[in-house]
Amino acid sequence: MSGLWPFVVFGVFAGSVYGLAAMGVVLTYKTVGVFNFAYGAVAMFCAFTYWQLHVGWHLSTWIALPLLLLVVAPVLGLVFERLFRPVLGLSAEVQIVVSLGALAALQALVPILYGTSNDRTLLPLFPRSTFLLGGGVHVGYDQVGMLVISMAMGVGLWYLLRHTHFGVATRAVVDNRDLAAMMGVNGTSVRRVAWIISSVFAALVGVLLSPTQGLDTYVLTLTVIYAFAPAVLGRLVSLPLAFAGGIAMGVLQSVLSKYGSSGTIANLEAAIPYLALFVLLVVLGKRLKEAGLSVRPVTPAGADLESPPARTRRGPDAAVVAGGVAFLLALAMPFVVHGPHLGDLTFGAIYAMIAITLVVLTGWAGQISLAQFSFVGVGAFAAGHLAGAHGQHFVLAALVGMAVAVPMGLLIGLPSLRLSGLYLALATMAFALLMDTLVFSRADVSGGLTGITVARPTIAGIAFSSRAGFYELVVGVLGVLGFATLALRRGPVGRRLQILRDAPLAASTLGVNLTVTKLVVFAVCGMVAALGGAFYGAMQQAITPTDFAFSASLQLLLLVVLGGRSVISGAVIAGSVYASQLLLAPVLSPRISQLIQLSIAGGVIGLSRTPEGTVALTMAEARRVLSVLRPLPRRRLGVEAAASAASAALATSASAPGYRASSLEPPPAGLAPLSVEVRNA
Amino acid sequence: MPEPTRGLLEAVDVSVRFGGVHALSDVDLRVEAGGITGLIGPNGAGKTTMFNVLTGLVAPTQGRVCLAGEDVTGWPPHRRGRAGMARTFQRLELFARLSVEDNLVASWEAAHPGAVFGRGRRERRARVAEVLDLLGLWEIAGRRAGELPTGVGRLVELGRALCTDPRVLLLDEPSSGLDAGETSRFRDVLLDVVGRSGHGEPSVLLVEHDMALVMEVCDRVTVLDFGSRIAEGTPDEIRADPAVRAAYLGESDVA
Repeated sequence: MSGLWPFVVFGVFAGSVYGLAAMGVVLTYKTVGVFNFAYGAVAMFCAFTYWQLHVGWHLSTWIALPLLLLVVAPVLGLVFERLFRPVLGLSAEVQIVVSLGALAALQALVPILYGTSNDRTLLPLFPRSTFLLGGGVHVGYDQVGMLVISMAMGVGLWYLLRHTHFGVATRAVVDNRDLAAMMGVNGTSVRRVAWIISSVFAALVGVLLSPTQGLDTYVLTLTVIYAFAPAVLGRLVSLPLAFAGGIAMGVLQSVLSKYGSSGTIANLEAAIPYLALFVLLVVLGKRLKEAGLSVRPVTPAGADLESPPARTRRGPDAAVVAGGVAFLLALAMPFVVHGPHLGDLTFGAIYAMIAITLVVLTGWAGQISLAQFSFVGVGAFAAGHLAGAHGQHFVLAALVGMAVAVPMGLLIGLPSLRLSGLYLALATMAFALLMDTLVFSRADVSGGLTGITVARPTIAGIAFSSRAGFYELVVGVLGVLGFATLALRRGPVGRRLQILRDAPLAASTLGVNLTVTKLVVFAVCGMVAALGGAFYGAMQQAITPTDFAFSASLQLLLLVVLGGRSVISGAVIAGSVYASQLLLAPVLSPRISQLIQLSIAGGVIGLSRTPEGTVALTMAEARRVLSVLRPLPRRRLGVEAAASAASAALATSASAPGYRASSLEPPPAGLAPLSVEVRNA
Repeated sequence: MPEPTRGLLEAVDVSVRFGGVHALSDVDLRVEAGGITGLIGPNGAGKTTMFNVLTGLVAPTQGRVCLAGEDVTGWPPHRRGRAGMARTFQRLELFARLSVEDNLVASWEAAHPGAVFGRGRRERRARVAEVLDLLGLWEIAGRRAGELPTGVGRLVELGRALCTDPRVLLLDEPSSGLDAGETSRFRDVLLDVVGRSGHGEPSVLLVEHDMALVMEVCDRVTVLDFGSRIAEGTPDEIRADPAVRAAYLGESDVA
């Protein structure tokens, strides 16, 4: 027992920082209705800024720390407030996309602002010297300092919410935003204060964590995700529970570290916060309430001024024609592009293949997945272990990978039965991180640090080992997959998935089995991603676990959002962007590449409300240009004739002939002529 | 057994508690085959909760739900849908990003799993066209459902429910958001639809605030107040019932 005691004590100290972070996450969710996936990135950014101020520019702690907490963090908070203001009250999907974009932007911004040096360290705010606590435990002043700061912040926040005008205003806004506004509470300033406090908490978390975790953009961002489980424990509304949960998490991890510093237990120590997050989400299930009320459905921002064209079921489909042209061009590429560049294009095609699964899953069915690359990893490692030295068993290996992906898909689909939107995204994120820490990190799966080798396939006696041969194979598979998905889009399957996204309850009362539909779509998309993984492995040849880490799934989602998450061409664009990055990487300076990353993140934030992504913007622009050349709308006349015939038939039974006119939104009669005049002038 | 007197859809002794709140207490409700049954009551009386219990979105704390004599209490919503129940929602639940026509098509497909090719496809086209005709929705068939005004959205939800060829149609405040002309048209559609496909089906259960409409079209009316049934009878009986007048209608003029 006495052997355990020190671990408990250290766990409390470490956990207090998680508690601080969890309170910061809860605060914005509670008051603003936004769950900030970028919280870890904010902490990371602030830690780097503090390093720059304190170490880089030699400012003393007494200047650097106030500068960070009173200037930098609040400004960052205000930036976040501004960033999320346009998407308040929109669907969880849109808000998740914005915060993931912000995460990516901060991760790109740090190397741009502060360089990429790896040998940066921060000393703790308090001396590391120890004193003797009861029970024979020596503790450091830095550890006590963490606990004191976290508790002080927690108590301060409690006081602020309980005993100040801000607290009353906050509770009013939380209870009923519109009513509070009518009573004269300025929602925007309440939200600003909440963002600032949350951001200051994040800055403290970053400064307190970086001495032990190191200054690394990725590691720091992920460590703060440890705080998501405690935040969910408090159902994202209870600050005390979030803090207590953080401490419990710290103790749990610390106690586990007693029992082993290597092997399964060590992995478990790293995995326990993600495991806790996943389990908590599944267990709490429907008791978790969404704060970001999706009152308003997402409408395409780019093209919503004109009503989308009525779909005609005759004639060639523009998407199929465009896809066919792109497919033929892609097949002809080896005549123009040679050498390693062709390899980059192959990667792009494989990426597009994987991206299609995300379009179907997220864009169509509305099930956000942050774990798609975990399936890719399963496919790749299966190919690596089973394909044989010359890829003679490649098809078999790919099939096995796909088969393994089925139970995985069911497992990750399981929370989707009880969760949606934000909580589902959190669950898939936890799942991806669990795969990283528990499965891919195992040496017998991934071949340890050196990774494993995957052979290029030999199928039916034909060896696709040359660059061009393998490229044609991949493009062929992508083409089949792409056209098959296009064919499904307008058919029963596409409709089934889209009604699942738009109004699941209504769909279920009409006869759609939600359980089966969700599980099937997760499993099938997982299978196809695993197939992509087999190709990915064969292309890369030497694969390591980091290829399939959570960050890869995150990047996939961002690129798909950029391309257009509800259209197949969005997946193709995601693949093209990925390939271009690979193509340009040797030519461009690192700084330019970082700027490109930053602009991608910015584009993602800008396109959060546009499910068709850049495709929509391009189409809207093209339509505007082409509208001049458009012949008079013949087909539309036909539709109207049919309509008036139908309503004439109706008039016999209907007692209200005025119905037709009144059923549609009246055109803004006063405005229409005016706008014409303006245009003419 | 006197089979014909049994209701097509019945709620027997249904209670629902949310925490300490009694949303419904021992409520009986019967929808006769081939008729329109009204369910009325002040706001918060438990009407929508009753709908959710009937369609399987809320599990009752106690009591049974029977469809054509079969106990469906434990059935999930989609199974009830396939057995012939269809509903609309007070707060619209349209498939917002699909066209109006695709809303109807998707609904037909949901109710007819497996019948998507060949003959099924022709049947689907015919049924969807029929419903578009009936509700006068041709003109907006290609518009996205999410951008329609509420009144039209309600008609689309009605059409969507009709596309499943329901035996019982549950309508949750279908006329709210409709103007006078639309309401009158809606009444005609309602009367036209009931009993159309033979066997006296579909029957309709109607939750409605428009008293004039309820009293005009309903064969029988059930009144809820604070989660309890306080009256059941023909519109004339309900109009005369003192308990109803006290609890719900007050002294105001009943059309």
